[in-house]
Amino acid sequence: MKEYVLDEPLSDGFLKFLEQFGTVRYLDQLKKPYFSFEKEHFISIKGFTGDPSVEVRYKKEFQDLVADYFHLLLHYYGQGERGIATLKDYENSIRKKMRVRLDHS
Amino acid sequence: MDSQLQGSQHRLIYLNNAATTWPKPPDVVNEVINSLHLPLYEPGRTTGDGSTDYPSAAREALAAFFHAGPPGHVVFTQNATDALNLLIHGFVKKTGTPFHVITTELEHNSVLRPLTALEQDGAIRLSIVPFTNTSMNPAAIKNAICEDTRLVVMTHGSNVLGSVQDIRRVAEYLHANDIFLIVDGAQTAGQISIDLSDIPVGAFVFTGHKALFGIPGIGGFFISDPDAIAITRQGGTGTDSRTLTHPPEMPVRFEAGTHNYPGIASLYAGIRFIISTGLETIEKKNADLTRSFICGLKTIGGISIYNERPELPVVSFNIPGIDNQEAGFILARAYNIITRTGLHCAPLVHERIDGGKGCIRASFSYFNTSEECRAATDAICEVAESAGS
Repeated sequence: MKEYVLDEPLSDGFLKFLEQFGTVRYLDQLKKPYFSFEKEHFISIKGFTGDPSVEVRYKKEFQDLVADYFHLLLHYYGQGERGIATLKDYENSIRKKMRVRLDHS
Repeated sequence: MDSQLQGSQHRLIYLNNAATTWPKPPDVVNEVINSLHLPLYEPGRTTGDGSTDYPSAAREALAAFFHAGPPGHVVFTQNATDALNLLIHGFVKKTGTPFHVITTELEHNSVLRPLTALEQDGAIRLSIVPFTNTSMNPAAIKNAICEDTRLVVMTHGSNVLGSVQDIRRVAEYLHANDIFLIVDGAQTAGQISIDLSDIPVGAFVFTGHKALFGIPGIGGFFISDPDAIAITRQGGTGTDSRTLTHPPEMPVRFEAGTHNYPGIASLYAGIRFIISTGLETIEKKNADLTRSFICGLKTIGGISIYNERPELPVVSFNIPGIDNQEAGFILARAYNIITRTGLHCAPLVHERIDGGKGCIRASFSYFNTSEECRAATDAICEVAESAGS
């Protein structure tokens, strides 16, 4: 688990971008509106709207494969469809490695 | 008291006292500071004087507190885990040949992991007795005994379900059958009255940083028959330095190296705090807080409470529609309410109560207030409503 303090809070646009890659959940009725992003085997991100710090958890068994994933999400956000396509190609290559590891375990 | 104790912290509602109590009584903090103002003192390790001999004073205080004797049979370790490892591995080493051990589903990993390691090495055969409702039936432990049973290791109080086991009944039967009983009192020491003069345990383990209000890094055990446990650590004791074999006399038999003096000082002050406040007063307040919290939880639709009548100030529950880790994160970051989530180092309990998913645990101390309980249940209600919508 890592806690990151970003230069600025994650934007609504970024959270919408995340919906392309996994499940985003919003709990708006709390003292601080909350969001989470979950991508099975890869990563989970938790935070509060307007708060620059986020908690990122990686799956222990695949941490070496997905350690850069959060930074890649930040990097390719803003590159539109091209960014989404590049990231999805990256994900597919990671999934192949995950499958090999799962088959051998 | 609250503003003094919290200092410059944003107001925290700390409900994780079963892990470590916070805040500590001011006298405990002051005693730790005092213990560092003069050179530390223990006979044999210094020519200095004028300071408090904390190890001796704390042994006397602990022996009196647990109605155990003699004080020399109170041994200091780093914590309860360290004490349990020393006792379990020491008993196995002393016994020498494989034998049968009984433990329970309520145990913390500080019991389960050493026993599992020994079982995997072929040193013991292990039986794990299930609990009924939230606690151990002494008859179930009795029924698990085999011809070659030599050791039972069991918790006094469950850190997840808050149940207190009837160790006196278990101890009496085991003592009569020459089976050594190690009791893990990490959750009960400082919470309820414990009279070891009336309970024939082999060893009773305590930790300093929970309800005894000491700082982390100190714990220990009382042992009735030291010869039952092999010496597994050797080193300097401040006495008889010419001899190359570790002294067998108590308490140095099980203590090697320099003590955690500030930790022992904190334990000494913690015991004094409990005695001056009154253990019954502490127990009653904790019970009132726990009851109030459970009543508040029950008004929230769909909450799963796994222990509705705990004997210790521990409440384990889940909120429908949201993972326990996520709920704990939200309570901490949005509401400044600190709990603990997950399996609480007691995996077998969770297999039974929540299918191994884990839960949220709120645990109280004398320093919590009824207003904090209300604020916590209000926050949990908001999380539940949000998660359910």
